[in-house]
Amino acid sequence: MSTNWKGLAALGCALVLIGSACGRDDGDDSSSDSDNGDSSSEEGAFINPSEDCDAYDGTAGVDGDTIKIGTIRPADGPYAIYDQVTSGLDAWVESTNANGGVTAGDGNTYQIELIKENDGYDPGRTPELAKKLVEQEGVFAIVGVIGTESNKAIRDYLNDECVPNIALATGSTEWGRADEYPWYIAGLPSYATEASMWVDYLEETNPDAQIALLYQDDDFGEAYRATLQKEIEGTDMEILAEQSYNPLSGGSTEAATVSLSQSGADTFIVGLGGTPCPATLTFMPDTWTPETFISVTCGGNTALSLAGGKDVGVLLAQAVYEPGDPADQDQPAVQEFMTNGAAGGLDEGQLTGGISSVGWSFGALFGAGLEESDTVDRAAIMNTLFSLEDASFGLIRDEMDITTDGGEDPWPLEGFRIVSRTADGSWEEVMPFNNKNGESNEIAG
Amino acid sequence: MKSLRGVGPVQSVLWAIALVVLIVLPFTSAPFRVEQYITWMTIAVAAGGLNLLTGYNGQISVGHGALYGTGAYTVAILVTDAEWPLLPTVIAAAVVCFMVGVIIGLPALRIKGLYLALVTLAVATLFPLVIEQFSDLTGGSGGLTLTSEQLYRGSIRDRRVKWESPIDGLASDQWKYFIFLGISIVCFVVIAAIVKSRVGRSLVAIRDNETAAEVSGINVSRTKIITFGVSAGIAGIGGAMFALNKGQVNPTSFTLTLSIYLLVAVVLGGASTVIGPAIGAVIYGVFIDVIAPELPETLESATPLILGTLLVAQMLMAPSGIVGWFHDLTEKVSRRRQGGGKQDKNVDVTVTTHEVVAETDLETDPGGFHP
Amino acid sequence: MRPSRKRIWGSDAKSLSGRGPPVNNFLEILVVGIGNGATYAMLGLGLVVIYRSTGLLNFASGELAMFSTFIVWTFWNLGFPMWLAILGGMLGGFLIGVLVHKVAVSPLGDPHERPLAVVIVTIGLFLGLNGAAQLIWGTVDKRLDPWFGVSQITVGGVAIAWQKIGAVVVLFVMVLLLWALFKFTKVGLSMRAVASNSESSALCGVSVQNMLMLGWGMAAGIGTLAGVFSAPNLGLGTNLMQLTLVFGFAAIVLGGFDSILGAVVGGFVVGILSSVVPQYITVFEKMPLAPAFILILAVLLFRPQGLFGSKDVARV
Repeated sequence: MSTNWKGLAALGCALVLIGSACGRDDGDDSSSDSDNGDSSSEEGAFINPSEDCDAYDGTAGVDGDTIKIGTIRPADGPYAIYDQVTSGLDAWVESTNANGGVTAGDGNTYQIELIKENDGYDPGRTPELAKKLVEQEGVFAIVGVIGTESNKAIRDYLNDECVPNIALATGSTEWGRADEYPWYIAGLPSYATEASMWVDYLEETNPDAQIALLYQDDDFGEAYRATLQKEIEGTDMEILAEQSYNPLSGGSTEAATVSLSQSGADTFIVGLGGTPCPATLTFMPDTWTPETFISVTCGGNTALSLAGGKDVGVLLAQAVYEPGDPADQDQPAVQEFMTNGAAGGLDEGQLTGGISSVGWSFGALFGAGLEESDTVDRAAIMNTLFSLEDASFGLIRDEMDITTDGGEDPWPLEGFRIVSRTADGSWEEVMPFNNKNGESNEIAG
Repeated sequence: MKSLRGVGPVQSVLWAIALVVLIVLPFTSAPFRVEQYITWMTIAVAAGGLNLLTGYNGQISVGHGALYGTGAYTVAILVTDAEWPLLPTVIAAAVVCFMVGVIIGLPALRIKGLYLALVTLAVATLFPLVIEQFSDLTGGSGGLTLTSEQLYRGSIRDRRVKWESPIDGLASDQWKYFIFLGISIVCFVVIAAIVKSRVGRSLVAIRDNETAAEVSGINVSRTKIITFGVSAGIAGIGGAMFALNKGQVNPTSFTLTLSIYLLVAVVLGGASTVIGPAIGAVIYGVFIDVIAPELPETLESATPLILGTLLVAQMLMAPSGIVGWFHDLTEKVSRRRQGGGKQDKNVDVTVTTHEVVAETDLETDPGGFHP
Repeated sequence: MRPSRKRIWGSDAKSLSGRGPPVNNFLEILVVGIGNGATYAMLGLGLVVIYRSTGLLNFASGELAMFSTFIVWTFWNLGFPMWLAILGGMLGGFLIGVLVHKVAVSPLGDPHERPLAVVIVTIGLFLGLNGAAQLIWGTVDKRLDPWFGVSQITVGGVAIAWQKIGAVVVLFVMVLLLWALFKFTKVGLSMRAVASNSESSALCGVSVQNMLMLGWGMAAGIGTLAGVFSAPNLGLGTNLMQLTLVFGFAAIVLGGFDSILGAVVGGFVVGILSSVVPQYITVFEKMPLAPAFILILAVLLFRPQGLFGSKDVARV
């Protein structure tokens, strides 16, 4: 043990330095007065903080005319591409501030401050970062956290602390459980609702579709698979063959795709996200020409530019305007995004890539909540977001009926149209927009 | 404490300071920081176990993240499926990982050096896939969450476990901190005891010259296999602490990166020094959890680059790690002060660090010839 | 919601139910395996060249290949023709390899004397190159077009991409070149001499350091081709080669660490096994890496010199 004491002393010194750098506030922040959330305690509101929260502070993170929000995303490692989503959120914040800020329902105009943490897509790291955002940074709300597992990892904590988690960057069916977890609201449509749209389309165009399914081996792909199985029950459709793919596996989807191509299916559903999705299109043998659906998560130009031209004719359930789609260029929402997004720091590739625009809409959802609430209060914002009536925000298509009703109907986005990819990178509508308002939880089963 | 016997007054004071710091720390830090400290402890314990194998015994493992993960999953499965109470699962994790370690140790008798590194690297890469493959048991990519029944929004629900502190005035994170600090100290005392014992000396003897060790009567095979088991068991305890601290396990937490970080902690702090891996783990933790988030955003994604560069530079310039380097420095100072006449009276651990230094003296040409 | 977990592994109904009839797609899967195998063999060749010249297992070689593939992409994206871009990337890889050897590896001395140092330095390079690539080229996967295009030919009902045929042809050209280099040229002979006995070759006037540097550079250049053929399949991102590396290692373990022919045979065997086995054996369904791992373990245990390696590999 003779030399070790020196090491231990060094360890101790290091720890003291860190400890003192972030000294704990003895007076607990969250114990400050909780009687300022008048509107939030309204009779009949979805969230009643005086009942559900131990020490409620509805205005934490609001400092004068600045509202501090936080987000957690992977900035390095194999999933770092999702950082592009957060770039969109960042651009929304930057450009909103540059344009004067958000005018909230209380008549004041607020600047937004966004604090970003990096969990590397490891849900083991997400909780401590969420706690850091709440405890150290004192954020008002958390917006646009990436990934199903990361959001699940902080769900109990954020609900206990009564901190809003707005516009989750995942479409897991888990987010339909608003009765249990009222401080969570999804930023994407449910994957199950998306899959049910595919079946709707097939029922009209190919009622005895023979399906080959390739799905990601996680909650995301499983949601597609389970919904497809449920929705085709009682129809003449059939899942002829299926293969799962794990992005961690080190292999490509080639063997799975080639194997599915031998199944004789006339419909191919690619329930994958990220690069494996366009890569799968390139692996399809020329001899196999099924009607191919891809996941909404890879419907942007960034992903499909990797398909080497084999994306022509693929089908997609679409809920948003695609800034990269020539057909959507004239939409006011797209024009606003192109102008302000560029001012907010997005480059050309990000503007038209279809990834950053998603994060932009997350910011816009938070902004909409702020604008529509009477007071700037955590519970008030959540209650606003859970009682939307035909709202609109960000790059969500106008046809979308954005309506929510607490635990009864917690999903803001529940509609799609089916589109087909053309050779010039446009999407052509093949089935008109269909709103499935209030049905998402039922579809998910 | 046994290890304090024969320690000089200055050393005792420093130990005492370190102890005070460790006790005061959770009271001066935000709860999220305290949970990060616990994560550093889990890495420190696992790296301490890895050090027994790689530092003292010379068997290189790039796969200890898999054993750490095995420990974590053992805990999670026992708690969620078999409804064990939390703390006894730590012992179960140690036992399971010991057995897994012994099984891996068998082929390691024939596969040595860089080849063992290669095999263990493959183990580390394979581990998350095995977890996904057996998703019925492990929960697959969704992982497992350690839950307990709690009252929330008017009904009893399964929610993430909380560590209710039985002591008034001690918050849940602080209570958790002291439990895990206790376990970590026990682990390091065990490691120190092993290193100081005859077994510890045989480990080093085997590392330095296997044939000579065999001749001098050491049962090389048995020692190596048991070392693998013990090392794995301790890594498993680290993983068990991880699962209990986070309340969840997930395959993405146990990738090759984790194994690399354990190795980095060992080498950075000082291989074949008892406390080195703990220091390496803390430095690594400070880098990842404290410094990296404060870097300007363009540099945030550069953390692997910084880490990699530091690692190469350290290997070339201070291969014996921080503890070794610190030791050399103080020794030089004391030699200068005492005219170099007096010998350091605490030689036992010094010997091992010196061997590492001697072994790693820079040599520019493997052939020993400069063209 | 996740369905409740069952505890019996074997009764996982879903893995059995949906499979197409397994017999009629064997040839197609085999073709996939051969295509992958060619890539693994290329990576393996790079590893063999390094092993031959320095006796080292290079854990950073995958990342080196990834990095130089990004160089290829940069040239290609600037409008250079693909073959020229690839040459540029190989040259870039060569220079980085030389630099890496000079700065980080040669000061370590004999790799088998100090295995831990070698592991740490190559892992440091692994992290460093990966971080550097992300810093330079960002987080969005790049599109690198297949060198031989996207079109396919159909042979006996089996569609084969020209890219795959191209990969196999390139691999064999490379093997021929390497074989000729080691057999007939002075440089090649010097490299072999250095590898087998650096002291006496130094006495014969061979510059040991230069030969070792050349070995590193060549290995990095060859690895570039592995990247060029992987990138269109996996997307060119910073994690392009992290798992491919294990397949490459499996290839040279099987073939023998110092055998060029072995790397090729090993590459194809590993490629075919890792494509075919998960399709037919349920327990490997999600682990294409597992057959490669079992191969590594079994060969190192029972025939450490591999199929074609020289005996003295076994001594370590």
